[in-house]
Amino acid sequence: MSTALSRRFGRGLVTATLLLVVGFLMVPIMLTFVGSFAGEWSGVFPSEFVTLQNWREVLGLADTIGSQRSMGWDTLFTVGGYKLAVPSELFFSVGLALGGVLINLVVGVPIAYGVARYDFRGDEWLNAISVLPLVPGVILGVAFLRAYPNLSGTSFGLIVGYSLLKAPFMVMAVRSEFESMPLRRLEESARSLGASWPRTFLTVIVPNARSGIVSGAIICWTLAAAEFNFSYIVWAKGTQPLALFLQRHISNSSFTKAAAAVSMFFCIIVAITVLLQQVGSRGFDARS
Amino acid sequence: MATPGDHLADTRSRLQASLDVVSTLFTSLVDPTTERDRERRRIAVLCVPFATLLVIAGVYPLVEVVRISVSTEQYQSVGFSLQAYETLVSDPYYRGIAFNSLWLAGGTTLASVGLAIPIAHSLEKYELPGEDILVTLVSFPISLPGIVAAFMILVLLGNNGLVTNLVAVLTGGDAIDMAIAVSAPGLFVAFCYSMIPRATLILRGTYAKVDHAAEEAAQSLGATPWQTFRHVTLPQIRPGIIGALILTFRTGLAIFGTLIVIQAVVVWTLQISRELGPGYNIQIAGAMATVYFLFTFAFTALGLRYTDAEVGL
Repeated sequence: MSTALSRRFGRGLVTATLLLVVGFLMVPIMLTFVGSFAGEWSGVFPSEFVTLQNWREVLGLADTIGSQRSMGWDTLFTVGGYKLAVPSELFFSVGLALGGVLINLVVGVPIAYGVARYDFRGDEWLNAISVLPLVPGVILGVAFLRAYPNLSGTSFGLIVGYSLLKAPFMVMAVRSEFESMPLRRLEESARSLGASWPRTFLTVIVPNARSGIVSGAIICWTLAAAEFNFSYIVWAKGTQPLALFLQRHISNSSFTKAAAAVSMFFCIIVAITVLLQQVGSRGFDARS
Repeated sequence: MATPGDHLADTRSRLQASLDVVSTLFTSLVDPTTERDRERRRIAVLCVPFATLLVIAGVYPLVEVVRISVSTEQYQSVGFSLQAYETLVSDPYYRGIAFNSLWLAGGTTLASVGLAIPIAHSLEKYELPGEDILVTLVSFPISLPGIVAAFMILVLLGNNGLVTNLVAVLTGGDAIDMAIAVSAPGLFVAFCYSMIPRATLILRGTYAKVDHAAEEAAQSLGATPWQTFRHVTLPQIRPGIIGALILTFRTGLAIFGTLIVIQAVVVWTLQISRELGPGYNIQIAGAMATVYFLFTFAFTALGLRYTDAEVGL
């Protein structure tokens, strides 16, 4: 044998694996998106194109009843007779996830800096505690029901739960950013120019790590907006978080309508990711 | 000869000594005098917000769960009884559920990490056209909750799923018989849908740190690509692979939403939520949550302690 098997086929096989998996991950997403515009999906491929009825029903623009009930609309504020209404489930989840991200910023950025900058006894364990999820959503949900019976189902309870569940992702993103920075040098330069330590941290270190912080915020936001397990256990009444709304449609609605609900969720994730990336690369640049 | 009085004095002085240590530490934190003390205070200040959240949202609720799991009353934490744990150990139903959880999470972990290695390898090592797009596509499903992953599997493998019908046409069978979405194999694929992107993310981080010079040296000395991978790349990424196995296994055990849509196999998390349904067996649910927490904590701690696993992205 003149050439080794791996030289002839290795690269091709590995690349084929990649493409197959990408196909496995993407084909259903695309089919779902296409299917959401179909009137009928009982054969292999959706048919009766193009209709917006599924989207209208999911977004609450057309009348719906019972368990297939779609989104409600809340009036946000009224200006001169015009009412700005927002889809309530959507708005609710966006707010909850943002609340979770705010808490994550406050708790995640400092500890990531502590782990990345200082060497001390037990720093490896502190690192492990901060980057490993403590418990999964289901178990945290049961724990919240026991510990805070009145608070667990409220928006505040959901926000606190989301922030604990998603904190590791913030810490990981910010820590890896800190680790790529010359932290000691930055800190020492700022200190020698007369800045106090808190001031150094807040005005020199944190702004320099903004790309890591923004990507951490993106990850935490999307994961919190999609959080199902914890919400399912603790949610009791009122506006549903988005993931529960999705589950209701997947379990109860026609296939095309469920496809529209899931596609709406895809759109939100894509839009927020693009938006925050823009902010990350330009919006915070005023300082530097 | 030691008298009881000596013993008491000894204990007292030891207590005094440890109190002194604590109070010195406390004073140095509140009013630091040396640079070392100041650094300690900074570390403490940096950890306080996280510790606060951890205690309020994590530790205290978990303690409440442990208390209710050993309670003798249904709605209050009173008394002490191991009744719930005895049920978990002795009832074959719960043993079966534990077994289901372990093989499903274990099998999907092996499959996902096994696929993630070539994916991360090709993304990091080969110069593929449209590589950025491929990275984005592979990462996108990370933000999809388990219920959506389950829906994706219905689209592929359900009664009118794409793959189902493809197989039906190729084999000449009936599509309904080929649909495996709502079955154990369908669930297995749905788990992989959630876990492959996460495992890939972890391994890409590992691959980014691989020493390219050593690989090039091996190649130029005549090693085949497989030999290079086996003897040069693999030893370097091994800690990352073990870390990915641990993290992905934890992810697999924690999956719940997927099971709400595809209720083909009853696993630990699904059973916890069922215990909260009609009957409200909070003691059993609490005991199951406690066992779950202790199990994941133990194997993660052991994994990090006794292997060279790296955890992180």
